[in-house]
Amino acid sequence: MSHNERYEELAAALALGSPLGAERAELERHLAEGCAVCEELLADGRRAASALAAEMPEVAPPPELRARILSSLGPSRAPEAPARPSSGFAARILAAAAALLLVAVGLDDAKMRREREDLRSRSADLAVRLQTAETALAERTLRARVLESDDVQMMLLGGAGPQPGARGRVFWSPTARRGVLVAASLAELPPDRQYELWVFIEGKPVAAGVFDAEASGRALFESTPFPNPKAQNFAVTVEPRGGVASPTGPIVLVGAPA
Amino acid sequence: MSPRPDDPDGALMVRVEARDADALAALYDRHAGRLLALARRILGEGGEAEEVLQEVFLFAWRAAASYDPTRGNVLTWLLIATRSRAIDRLRTRRGTSRPEARRLDEMPVEPAAAGDPEAASADRQWEAVCRSAVRELPDDQRTVMELAYFEGLTQQEIADRTSTPLGTVKTRARLGLMKLRDRLRPYMRSGSRVS
Repeated sequence: MSHNERYEELAAALALGSPLGAERAELERHLAEGCAVCEELLADGRRAASALAAEMPEVAPPPELRARILSSLGPSRAPEAPARPSSGFAARILAAAAALLLVAVGLDDAKMRREREDLRSRSADLAVRLQTAETALAERTLRARVLESDDVQMMLLGGAGPQPGARGRVFWSPTARRGVLVAASLAELPPDRQYELWVFIEGKPVAAGVFDAEASGRALFESTPFPNPKAQNFAVTVEPRGGVASPTGPIVLVGAPA
Repeated sequence: MSPRPDDPDGALMVRVEARDADALAALYDRHAGRLLALARRILGEGGEAEEVLQEVFLFAWRAAASYDPTRGNVLTWLLIATRSRAIDRLRTRRGTSRPEARRLDEMPVEPAAAGDPEAASADRQWEAVCRSAVRELPDDQRTVMELAYFEGLTQQEIADRTSTPLGTVKTRARLGLMKLRDRLRPYMRSGSRVS
């Protein structure tokens, strides 16, 4: 369906925070068709809606709240440690460069300290960027292997159990013996849980990897290799973080093989 | 994550992701007052607003990796997390469970980059711009927007509450939001500055 004012109204309502109910699926379909106007209205509208919160004067939180929150965090690392650089030659060079920079500004007056803090966060930032880029490249290579296979197949997955609104599709290739799951509207899980993908082979579910959904509820996930090429169906369950060998949690996505 | 080097909150988030509790404390000191004000505006003065604040900072601690600086600044990410949790509680209190998945509301979004060593003053400027933009809205549009934002009402509920036809509510929300967006647009682009 092409863009019209009704979709703009739905996007505006959602950006402002009004639940859409049944109309939400309609808007999502429209967005999935790639309507740039509504996508932009939703994204910019959400930013703009936050301006409504600026209207109120700030309040002073009760002093004990800060201590209560900070003591509830659980284990933390020493503040000296920047984000861990990934392995690999480039990362090692980067880490060495960052270390040299730190030495270079090691003198201890206040200005230097501030600059050192800044460099530390920049080196952490660079390490994280590199790690992200390396991961993305590796993922793309794997995805390309699946998606460009001559025998690529696709199966739609529908929401089930506690997450009827979730949806997804799996692209897989019998020769690559891997699949790529694309999912949307997955719910936030407690920190000790993760989604686990299952491939049904000879009628039995076989673990195909664990993943987290993005904050937007979307997930793009490359499976682990299937033990044999005859995938019959796919499902996603909620399992303890790290995954389990056979499914224990509720099914939230499942395919409907022909 | 890849915060701009001139984004102090973004640098703090990198450290939070690396489990640096001092960085979370710094984020708290910078933003707790604003977030608590929002939670109290939605939930009132009881202890629930403080519980929401605690949940939000725990969320920031555990889910720091889900913050995407290309899609918004930290304050707005925290505001959205706060609003969404506070509205969930409000709706539970009213006995209406909210049909929206929380996560969609938490797509990070952002106002202007507070990209200034004196970030506090940039924050103040951002607030001033937002305030004047909100005040320029026609009252009827602003009312519809505030009922959605602070009370999480559906448009039908807003229509009932304000004795206005549903179609009018939809139009006011759309026009008001577009007006606000257009007014703030110069300050919302990635890399743009408030000053």
